[in-house]
Amino acid sequence: MSAVEVRHVSVDIGAAQLVRDVSLEFAAGQWHTIVGPNGAGKTTLVETIAGVRQPTRGAVEVSGTSIHTANERLRAQTVAFVPQHPIVPAGMKVRDYVGLGRTAYRSLLRGPSTRDHEIVNEVLNRLDIERFADRDVATLSGGERQRMVLARALAQHTMVVVLDEPITGLDIRHQVDLLEVLRREVEECGLTVIATLHDLTLAAQFADRLVLLADGQVRADGTPHDVLRSAELADSYGVALQVVTVGGSDVVVPVTATR
Amino acid sequence: MKSSSTRSRILTVTALGFVALFGAMVVGVGVGPLSMSWGHIIGDVASHLGLGHSTLDSLQSTVLWQLRAPRLVLGLLAGAMLAVAGGTYQGVFRNPLADPYLLGVAAGAGLGATVAIVQIGDGLSTPAWTPWLAFAGALIAVSLTWAVGGRGTSASLVLAGVAISSLLTSAQTFVQQSSHSSIARVYIWLLGSLGGASWHSVWMTLPYVVVCIIICVASAGALDVMSVGDVESRSLGLPVERVRLVVVAAASLGTAAVVSSVGLIGFVGIIVPHFVRLLVGSSYRHILPLSALIGATFLVLTDTVARTVVSPSELPLGVITALIGAPMFVLLLRARRESLT
Repeated sequence: MSAVEVRHVSVDIGAAQLVRDVSLEFAAGQWHTIVGPNGAGKTTLVETIAGVRQPTRGAVEVSGTSIHTANERLRAQTVAFVPQHPIVPAGMKVRDYVGLGRTAYRSLLRGPSTRDHEIVNEVLNRLDIERFADRDVATLSGGERQRMVLARALAQHTMVVVLDEPITGLDIRHQVDLLEVLRREVEECGLTVIATLHDLTLAAQFADRLVLLADGQVRADGTPHDVLRSAELADSYGVALQVVTVGGSDVVVPVTATR
Repeated sequence: MKSSSTRSRILTVTALGFVALFGAMVVGVGVGPLSMSWGHIIGDVASHLGLGHSTLDSLQSTVLWQLRAPRLVLGLLAGAMLAVAGGTYQGVFRNPLADPYLLGVAAGAGLGATVAIVQIGDGLSTPAWTPWLAFAGALIAVSLTWAVGGRGTSASLVLAGVAISSLLTSAQTFVQQSSHSSIARVYIWLLGSLGGASWHSVWMTLPYVVVCIIICVASAGALDVMSVGDVESRSLGLPVERVRLVVVAAASLGTAAVVSSVGLIGFVGIIVPHFVRLLVGSSYRHILPLSALIGATFLVLTDTVARTVVSPSELPLGVITALIGAPMFVLLLRARRESLT
């Protein structure tokens, strides 16, 4: 069953065509990662799927809801979005920041309900960030901050979460930590994850499916094993790549002539 | 979602704010060239409530009820509105330097008042039409700003405000220069004063201020969400454009009403919300109501200074708020920087 359907989506900005007639279906309860070189249109595509960007042509349906015609509240109850560079307002407590994820469910005149408090506490515990819940968001490390942003998305209680480069700027340990948290959400809660990643090795290790995007078009689509070995991968990046298997996992290595 | 220490700090600041407000009101009505003891003032207030007899003579009673009381009430309204409007603009534009005049209210009101003084009046006095033309000028300015930048992002609206302000300030300077005899009068108006306060001006300002403060404070939860920017707020379920239209309209309308009555009083809208933020944290649910309380207190106290230090003459209120506000602002910035390092 499809959680998300992308139908003939194109996004133009001025004369530039960032996404060109892309049609994709994303199965529920799976992790889909969109990979591709810089300028491929990955961010534009996931922003369009999350409903924060209007397509020039085409439509996106998430859990049966037409995402670009739904009002903001319904959209936020349907799909959560984690941008590449989230704005973290200094002075706000981590608990309050995660509570912003409940915006679509509460009256802004009344403030958070008991249910909102319960959900925020539950998410803080699940992501193991309860211990710094009362700290100022400006004092967090990169890894802690990304967990907090993910917690805000999970507090939205949607079945689909869209993430744009969620591990940018993190060291390898914190990258793996965050991806493991997401993987757990997929397996234990049936979450559908659509993420963009630059690291092909990590993308292959954690995703159920890879979509290769280049020049705004889908070049390859399938299991990580198949996409990493496709001729389109090296062609899209413009560099020779070799896939080696280490401990049962695929590792992508660029082949350069310098050494 | 507050810890108990945060809650107790907010309660303490609120209680101290009310004590300070009461103290400012007592000073505001009691201090002036014509001396009146606190006992006599309380006795006179009580007599108006049907309790006992007033011991003030008729001159003292007239000064109390026709000069100091409306001046006090107008000061409370102006201080509260400017502080709430400043805090609201800072929230909606995510810009710590935003003040209530960001979208052209000051320039529009200044042009309207200058036209009234130069074209309608005799240049020696401020005509009765001045507040109305200032009000109209302020609303036209904000409407122009919205028409130019309202459909874009917050940044485009701010840039439109800068452009419209520059245009109207040029026009105001041009009108002002056309009549040398009016320049002093125009400057007096531009620097702001509660000297012309009357019950008429109080009733003219009150409804706008009350309604606009209620709308801004009711929107505080939405401003908290908007602290993560337009795109993320929208993805969290906030109708960003509608919220921005409502809060900008309320803050601008309230500011226009205040400016048309008291002229341009600077710094209240910047310094008070920052001061409150330092005390109670970053949530607009606390910043806005406490800004109303502390803004009202601040303006009444600065007005008392403005009308007493060179008595029987008066200093422009805008000069006093800037003289007190600027050093306080520097200290606040230092305190905030140290708290973040």
